[in-house]
Amino acid sequence: MARAVDRRAERRRVAVTGIGVVTPVGSGRETFWRKLLAGESGIAPVSSFDTSRFKVKLGAEVRGFDPAPWCERLDPGTLGRASQMAVAAARMALADAGLDAATLDAERVGVAMGTTSGEPLEIEIFNDALRAAGRDALDGALATRYPCHRIPGQIAAELGFAGVNVMLPNACAAGNYAVAFARDALASGRADVMLAGGADAFSRITYTGFARLGAITTDRCAPFDRERKGMVPGEGAGVLVLEPLEAARARGARVYAEVVGYGLSCDAHHMTASHPEGEGPARAMAMALADAGLRPEDVDYVSAHGTGTPTNDRLETLSLKRAFGAAAARVPMSSVKSMLGHTMGAASALEAAVCCLAIADGWIPPTTNYQHPDPDCDLDYVPNTARQVPVRVAMNNAYAFGGANASVLFAAAAG
Amino acid sequence: MGVLSPLGDSPAALHRALCAGASHLAPVEGFAVEGFSMNRAVELRGFDPARYLGDGNFRPLDRTGLLAACAARLALDDAGWTGDAVARGEFALLLGTMFGSLRTISEFDRRGLEAGPLYVKPFDFANSVINAAAGQTAIWHHLRGPNSTVCAGTASGVQAIALGADLVAEGRVEVAIAGGAEELCWESFVAFSRAGMVANGDGTPRPFDEKRSGFALGEGAAFLVLESGEGAAARGARVLAEVLGHGEAFDPSQGSDERRGAETVTRAVKLALEHAGLQAEDVSAVSAAASGHRRADAAEARGLAAALGMSVASVGVTAPKGAFGECLGASGALQAAALLAAMEVGELPGVAGFTAAPPGFPLWAISDRTTPVDLAVGLVDGVGLDGPCCALLLGRS
Amino acid sequence: MTPHGEDVVVRDKVKRIIFNVTRIPVERIGDGASFREDLELDSLSLLEIGVDLDYEFQLGLEDLEQRLGDLPTVEHVVGFVRQRLEEKAVA
Repeated sequence: MARAVDRRAERRRVAVTGIGVVTPVGSGRETFWRKLLAGESGIAPVSSFDTSRFKVKLGAEVRGFDPAPWCERLDPGTLGRASQMAVAAARMALADAGLDAATLDAERVGVAMGTTSGEPLEIEIFNDALRAAGRDALDGALATRYPCHRIPGQIAAELGFAGVNVMLPNACAAGNYAVAFARDALASGRADVMLAGGADAFSRITYTGFARLGAITTDRCAPFDRERKGMVPGEGAGVLVLEPLEAARARGARVYAEVVGYGLSCDAHHMTASHPEGEGPARAMAMALADAGLRPEDVDYVSAHGTGTPTNDRLETLSLKRAFGAAAARVPMSSVKSMLGHTMGAASALEAAVCCLAIADGWIPPTTNYQHPDPDCDLDYVPNTARQVPVRVAMNNAYAFGGANASVLFAAAAG
Repeated sequence: MGVLSPLGDSPAALHRALCAGASHLAPVEGFAVEGFSMNRAVELRGFDPARYLGDGNFRPLDRTGLLAACAARLALDDAGWTGDAVARGEFALLLGTMFGSLRTISEFDRRGLEAGPLYVKPFDFANSVINAAAGQTAIWHHLRGPNSTVCAGTASGVQAIALGADLVAEGRVEVAIAGGAEELCWESFVAFSRAGMVANGDGTPRPFDEKRSGFALGEGAAFLVLESGEGAAARGARVLAEVLGHGEAFDPSQGSDERRGAETVTRAVKLALEHAGLQAEDVSAVSAAASGHRRADAAEARGLAAALGMSVASVGVTAPKGAFGECLGASGALQAAALLAAMEVGELPGVAGFTAAPPGFPLWAISDRTTPVDLAVGLVDGVGLDGPCCALLLGRS
Repeated sequence: MTPHGEDVVVRDKVKRIIFNVTRIPVERIGDGASFREDLELDSLSLLEIGVDLDYEFQLGLEDLEQRLGDLPTVEHVVGFVRQRLEEKAVA
């Protein structure tokens, strides 16, 4: 039994005041947003391992990332790659929020992150060592560097934060779960500042798996396009700074948007295939709208999960119609995965950043590579060109392996 | 609640085994351990998923997924939730784990290395993501509400319960299944051994003991069924306890500084008391996370003592990892289930393997003997080895 | 081995692989059983069976997913495997 006090009425409103990103199109909020609006792609032939035995070659890697400038306390060599990118994104987000870690009450600052695979490169190192030199070559890294809770832990260690610290590794929906958790931690008064986001590192493990499932495209990543052939695995990190709206205003912070609601559901249908009627995602959207006290007509932009696989995009279209009814035809929905690829656990965090920037900036990024309309995908996907339009409310949708669905609503902070 | 452990597959059996104080440490059978000077663990032998899941095809699940799905079945049955009512109800699932299945992702990669990328096993890929067990469990039991895997190191199980309680308390869900699951595998056995965290000699873990040298690895799963008081009353459910509050904190030294580690435990406990509107003297018993780990046990002892203040003289402290081992993401849930079972019966198990406290040890009355105690309020302490802490307060109804 | 003997060996291995993936007892897997309708297998299970078949018989298939689409029953698979093994023996 749990105390069923519905404390939602007393809860503080929560704002996003900082954005930090490490992505296949570049790092830092400014570069990221500029590239997305320009329709630039971070997808290219994979360079970090040999794909000659694969039929597919494309990936969305973060090239030339140097963790050193972002690690003042920690030795970046002791961090896995996802942790390195996460720490960098966290520092960028804090700077973007105009916050100095040293001036914050460390015990009241927490970190919630998401991921799909954590630090899979550590598994590869383990197996490579085992094959090359046998068991004696193995060390304890799988117990120390590998566990995915180290990702938010390293962020907190680097910045000196001592509040709640958790990893919610809900795969492609993880970033949304982290933002939802952070929003609740702030709303309930458990924390005064939360860093929330997601990170994942590119690896042969992840690539091999998606390739084996036949999920990776052989040419372009073209979400919602009739000729779409699949997704492109990627990597990256996205971190948002969240704090109570009142506190943000009191210190004169720039408020990108307010987190006004979220909805979580599970298909409980299949590990790698979505529910054939889009029921779970539709429920998550409906719950988010109810949580925020909004209607479908109020939503000005939807950041789609939009992986570019034949099935996802068709079912996602179905889900939106199911949740939005007639309003589905009128709301622009774009997929930045057309440019970023699928950055796994970072994806919904980066897409949350996109929603916040859309609201703050009044621009919507496009779904690129869109050439052939698909009768099964007949909504407005903002094809190829960014669109300038006021965005008061944005919905971020994310659907994970294992069937977890998460929708988070952001709104221009009014009142 | 549902429990799946080498010590038993019910909370009552777990409690009896903890009170009996026998060792469940034995040479590992499930994988090859030759070449290890210490080759023992607390392993779940003869695990037969069909016993809990029935006839369906559970081949797509790996061991972690099976542990989770079976423990969830036991919990749902214990709570009187069956069939259609579960599917209609949109229950949340919060699954604490450290690795998901470290074995599955490692084997998936090894197969690709040995046979080439075309021959990797699709089932293994589906189970290689850390949230696989949560997905599989939801599919198996039609859990259609919020579904989150929770990773906070060895504090995962407690953190998952805390998150589940919040979802219910806020009215987001009517019912949450919250707990943890972790399998024992060769990869984690190698890693923790090489990291120097596993007990040496015959491998006996001795939580809090002056001679402790590390923990023993265990495995298992446990889930609590959390629901609103009104909902439970409306359906005439038997109520075992109430989640009174929880608190979280992080040690930025990530376990390297004992003083900071202790202070982090203190903060988490104090925040839990504050959330529950309780004082230290209201706590009847503590289920500590102590596992035999040299530094972490010391930090936790200091931290608990500082949080409990004068009450340290009267509150009972147990540390069940002396018996079921360090079950990583499942530990906190097993601690919670064991403490609830103890509260029901009014006796606190002793700490298996404990002989004597180190000089200056700040916690009183720790022994290997079972003690009859009126247990009204229990504190479950989830302490990560590298930073995260989550404290949970449970009150007997 | 006689062609009949080979057929029995291949058929037996195919059914064993299906059992390993699905826990459907070998006796209940009819030769004419269709994967989708009779055995009610989803695409992930089919892919798992396909990979196991390829690995077991070293078929060296480049386009497994497409092939599986053309082999709707146990009989089709047995025939395909035998044909492929013959091609490899001759090559």
